[in-house]
Amino acid sequence: MTDRKDDSNRGWSRRNVLKAGAASAVIAGTGPMIFTRNSWAQDAIGNFPVKGDTVMFGFNVPQTGAYADEGADELRAYKLAVKHLNNGGGMLETLKPSSLTGQGVLGKKVGYVSGDTQTSPDAARTSARRMIERDKVIMYGGGSSSSVAIAQQYLAQEMGVIFMCGLTHSNDTTGKDKRRYGFRHFFNAYMSGKALGPVLADAYGTDRRAFHLTADYTWGHTQYQSIKEFTEKEGWTTVNNIMTPLGTSDYSQFLTAVLNSDADVLVLNHYGKDMVNSLTQAVQFGMKDMQKNGKDFQIVVPLYSRLMAQGAGASNIDGVFGSTNWNWTLEDAGSQAFVKSFEDEYGFPPSQAAQTCYVQTLLYANACERAGTFYPPEVIKALEDFRFTGAGPGEAYYRGADHQCFKDILVVQGKGPDQKQGEYDLLNIVQHVKRDDVIYPVDTFSGELGPYKPA
Amino acid sequence: MSGDLINALFLQILTGLQLGMIYAMIALGLTLIFGTLGVVNFAHGALYLIGAYCAVIIAGKLGFLYAVILVPLILFVIGIILERGLIQYFYDRPHTDQILVTFGLAIVAEEALKWIFGANNIPYPVPSWGQGIVMLHEYVPFLSGFVVFPKWRLILILVSLVVIGALFFLLQFTRFGLVIRSGMRDAEMVRFLGINITRRFAAVFGLGALIAGIAGVFGGPITQVSPAVGMKMLVPSFLVVVIGGMGSVAGALIAAVVLGMALSFTAEYSSIQQIIIYLVAVVVLLTRPRGLMGKKGVFE
Repeated sequence: MTDRKDDSNRGWSRRNVLKAGAASAVIAGTGPMIFTRNSWAQDAIGNFPVKGDTVMFGFNVPQTGAYADEGADELRAYKLAVKHLNNGGGMLETLKPSSLTGQGVLGKKVGYVSGDTQTSPDAARTSARRMIERDKVIMYGGGSSSSVAIAQQYLAQEMGVIFMCGLTHSNDTTGKDKRRYGFRHFFNAYMSGKALGPVLADAYGTDRRAFHLTADYTWGHTQYQSIKEFTEKEGWTTVNNIMTPLGTSDYSQFLTAVLNSDADVLVLNHYGKDMVNSLTQAVQFGMKDMQKNGKDFQIVVPLYSRLMAQGAGASNIDGVFGSTNWNWTLEDAGSQAFVKSFEDEYGFPPSQAAQTCYVQTLLYANACERAGTFYPPEVIKALEDFRFTGAGPGEAYYRGADHQCFKDILVVQGKGPDQKQGEYDLLNIVQHVKRDDVIYPVDTFSGELGPYKPA
Repeated sequence: MSGDLINALFLQILTGLQLGMIYAMIALGLTLIFGTLGVVNFAHGALYLIGAYCAVIIAGKLGFLYAVILVPLILFVIGIILERGLIQYFYDRPHTDQILVTFGLAIVAEEALKWIFGANNIPYPVPSWGQGIVMLHEYVPFLSGFVVFPKWRLILILVSLVVIGALFFLLQFTRFGLVIRSGMRDAEMVRFLGINITRRFAAVFGLGALIAGIAGVFGGPITQVSPAVGMKMLVPSFLVVVIGGMGSVAGALIAAVVLGMALSFTAEYSSIQQIIIYLVAVVVLLTRPRGLMGKKGVFE
């Protein structure tokens, strides 16, 4: 008897303590939910319910790496959006329908934390996790690399915290990798191809041979596919494609391959510094003054941005075609309200990356106000199939079935040194492509959004 | 052979040479420092980086020619300070300690430059006399049609060849070179002969840094000037040293050209291109464990 008693005492000392500890942790964790489930329709998801009188947003942008320029501009826009949400101004005056008051969101002041994605999915996930777990953000945003955006979208779904994508242009973001907790306002490679194909055929003819250099990750791959599809529809031939590692600084070996081919068009599926480097070096290799197959050699940059144009310089972008989500020279009321307040704050006009991040933050806040809660499933429903004006030209439509926003986009051409009027006047709008001309059926891409409540 | 094929081959060889030459200039310093001092200097990429940043600033403020003269001198001084102030205390320590301290130094340099100049790359314009393209078909008899190459990249190849030639001359035909070469073989014996080898070895560290400075001045416009470039250049350059044979100057040169050609000729096959330099390293080290021209007893 005595022995047995001693045994049980000894056994209790470790294993049982652990077991009991684990059991009580489970009870402590689930207990309150068991009692509240029937009395509260909105159970805790992610960082909901929001405690205190400040609601935190997280802004996770590339502050280093190939897309650092874009990231810096995104952060400026986010700060401006927070300022406007708390104090009014900017697009709050033009966005319709809007329930935003300019006095915070749902009676709470908006605060924010920022992080560096380093243009790397792993670093982005770590930074986002810190925002969610330590800083208790109710929503986070950011972008400038689709692989980074997609990684964060998956994390968003897992954690139950909405991710409002910043600049991400891969078809996968709202295609095969679409997530219920991720939303994209920016356009995608498919829309770029659809808009650009006919313009290129008009300008350069239908008998062209294209060589692609493509950034080797999800965005580059889908853009290559889309541009190939839409230029081949116009009669072009795709000679070759080389995948180049993200962050390549010397493109000479790839450009030599282009020179050695019989291609008469070079398509650069590069963005940010990659594009600045590859375009500058292509020009250094004489590709803008060259003739091939009896035609002038041409360079195309399907995804353009004013920041990149600035980085590459006016003489290099002169006459180069591309597409863009938005440009600061647009004259609709929403764009102008944003441009004016951005210029007042920072002294220069915003980029397309800045515009999409700013709009996304306002759209999220507006959805919370319209839903009357921060409860993620209700906010998601308020964003799905939302139609709005005053955030850029024309009416925009956030499609509920894939969380892709459809709106007017622009085909642009680089302005040469003699055409530009001022430091930031670098892109000439060749065509204003209407929303209905770039919209596509939802089943064009596979993928599932997933549940409203994270598993 | 058809004209097109000759053109293509010629351009690819030229590109390979250009790619290899930057690696060669960095690897020469690395291998020289290793051969003489026995130090694996992971901070050598950072010296290139500092060279490129100094070049951008000096070229922007005073003019490019000043950069050509001043940057190598500045780097030489930095090299001497580094060797006297830090590296000399690690000569007798294990290689792992040396690697850790120089790697740490590289990170400090990278972060410091990021802190001062930001994480974005700084535009480094090519001087006006180096801009534009050279119509190679007008000069090279066997080329037909239209074959061009950027002038700056040809200048880079030329400068690298001159630097490498000068280094060979220094090592083979001067008294200083003789001491260095004998010191590489048997430092103790040279010391017994009454030669102050320490002072000369400090100069070798400075010389390695100086070459990295020249590489920074001429390579900067091609590799870009951003804090990440140092590390990016270090790995292939280190491979060049290993493939060429630790401590062998001629081996480094051959290995640099081999890697440059490998990168150039696989450009169209991206899945292979991204691993080709490592593949070459594996093949070379399996067949010649000491590298192409490695000597017995070095780093063994």
